[in-house]
Amino acid sequence: MKIFVLNCGSSSVKYKLYDMEGETVLAEGRVERVGQENGVITHQSTGKEKISKTMPILEHTVAISETLKLLTDKEHGCIDSLDAIDAVGHRVVHGGESFSQAVLINEETKEILDSLAELAPLHNPANVMGIRAAEKLMPQTPQVAVFDTAFHSTMPPHAYLYAIPFNLYQKHKVRRYGFHGTSHQYVTQRAAEMMGRDIKDLRIVSCHLGNGASIAAVSGGQSVDTSMGFTPLEGLMMGTRSGDIDPGAIFYLMKTYDLSLHEVDSLLNKHSGLYGIAGASDMRDIEKGISEDDKLSKLAFDMYEYRIRKYIGAYIAAMGGIDAIVFTAGIGENTPALRSRICENLSYLGIKLDDELNQKRGQDLEISTSDSAVKVFVIPTNEEVMIARDTAAIVGKK
Amino acid sequence: MDIRRVAVLGAGRLGRGIAENAASKGYDVVLFSHGAGGQDALRKIENSLDRKLARWAITEAEKRVILSRITFTLDLKELSNVDLLIDATIDHFYTKQELLRTADQLCQPNVVFITTSSTLKVSDLARSITRSESLVGLHFIPPVPEVPVAELTRGHKTADSAVAVVKNFAERLGKEVIEINESVGLVNPRALLALINEAAYMLDEGVGDAEAVESIIKESWGMSQGPFEMADRLGLDLVLSWMEQMHKAYGDRFAPCPLLRRYVREKRLGVKTNLGFFRYNTEAKQED
Repeated sequence: MKIFVLNCGSSSVKYKLYDMEGETVLAEGRVERVGQENGVITHQSTGKEKISKTMPILEHTVAISETLKLLTDKEHGCIDSLDAIDAVGHRVVHGGESFSQAVLINEETKEILDSLAELAPLHNPANVMGIRAAEKLMPQTPQVAVFDTAFHSTMPPHAYLYAIPFNLYQKHKVRRYGFHGTSHQYVTQRAAEMMGRDIKDLRIVSCHLGNGASIAAVSGGQSVDTSMGFTPLEGLMMGTRSGDIDPGAIFYLMKTYDLSLHEVDSLLNKHSGLYGIAGASDMRDIEKGISEDDKLSKLAFDMYEYRIRKYIGAYIAAMGGIDAIVFTAGIGENTPALRSRICENLSYLGIKLDDELNQKRGQDLEISTSDSAVKVFVIPTNEEVMIARDTAAIVGKK
Repeated sequence: MDIRRVAVLGAGRLGRGIAENAASKGYDVVLFSHGAGGQDALRKIENSLDRKLARWAITEAEKRVILSRITFTLDLKELSNVDLLIDATIDHFYTKQELLRTADQLCQPNVVFITTSSTLKVSDLARSITRSESLVGLHFIPPVPEVPVAELTRGHKTADSAVAVVKNFAERLGKEVIEINESVGLVNPRALLALINEAAYMLDEGVGDAEAVESIIKESWGMSQGPFEMADRLGLDLVLSWMEQMHKAYGDRFAPCPLLRRYVREKRLGVKTNLGFFRYNTEAKQED
């Protein structure tokens, strides 16, 4: 079975074509600057030359159409015709309360997806545009939506509710949803495999540390709590997002500077986090700053590490113990100094890190020592394969 | 027709605001002006974006992207490759008529025209062009990027298809489009001019000083700017010119306050001369 995985952002499209026998990647690529005259497509079929071309890509339909042409191209492609694709799996950021698992897309699901745009205005409309474009180009091929929020649908009410008037939850579904679910699910399942144990018996804290960052408590293979909430703004300190902040401080700033909703939204989402403290949102720049003895870079790093450690502690309490910690995504996979600091500060739990293994990159690794009481892993995330698996499962059931 | 490239005629406060708003929503904008100070338009848009940056509303990268989408030109020939035309020049019938005629000849036949005029009727302006069915009135309210509403009017010949294009464009700029019938002054300018004029009478009659009148109106109605500051930012000469057109259309209830005439005669025109009802510094900030 061949599954085409699409991740459509507002101005980009990422894709992978999987052969589900052995879960091998047949082709992958990305389209950038969708909506512009100088769009860029980068494509590579496995075992063939990587190609890149610039052309006007004024909408998602064009981006996906060009991608499909490349997949069937004699020189650069990997399939003879689009009929070889059994299903398309779409990443959809917000499934709200309506979708606790992946679904086959039909008119009804599209209507619900449209209505969810309010909850994720930056992401869901682009995801839906991708779905409509793919349907237009491959009308006979089943389309499946896989949600970032779905994995966290197992959170209990005492974890997902905010302590605000209950009717606001009933009327407007204001609650914590959590994000990066596909990633948290993938890395925790992989950690269980690497430990050779049934995930049902494990309590794992998964740290997805990218430009956006979240942490999840996964007990028995189910998410019981996670740091992002109603939107991806809650929780950890991020590249440009504040994470947790007392709402009272927001009211104070709004009053002091006479800020509009848009201004305060932008302040917290785009001007805060690592960038707000040290003027750089990229952890590599923060590390460079530290090496040059820049005090604010050091402070930003300390704050970033402390917030993660605090959440790990909270989730150990939430799960009544811990068997493993997993680090993934850009910062989680590529910042040994951060992992080392976190684990050092948690050494009272009996965590022991293998310093040599901690320096390695680019592969699934257990980086704790054999006698560590809590196992520590670095696992490069693979959301696409999870989307492909969910899609294959849904289409297989049909 | 897919709209990518938008022409804005007129680089005054309204034209610059529309250009900034459209560029921030992803449109390429060509800004045209023959008037004095047109060359300063890009710098003024940059200043406006800098103020937003200082209030965390945009990032440095977003500012650069927005600016990169706006070009300024004096050459009307560039109108041949735009997808939408917005006339934001001052409300002078013959000047506007001449400009629209030229644009009519230069633009592709399927390009829809918008006029932002509030005191001239779409039906009257449409007579001067061959594409009278493609002219739509859309009055933006300054500061354009911040005000979420726009007034739409159609002339006798305006086609539904042209209205649909304009509504779609305005909604992409984040505006709620409210359609009203053609009338001199529309809704917002007419109500605003009445307010400014009455506030000027209060000042002239000694009811209170400018700060007192401004504060009471501003605070009690929860406005971000009171009538005097709004008038100063629009330009008192422009306000007086509108008032005169309203006076002509509606009679003595819009008779301009003598104080307004005196200020204009004394070249006390508001922000652009640093003195109007209030005093302003070179960065257009009100001084105590």
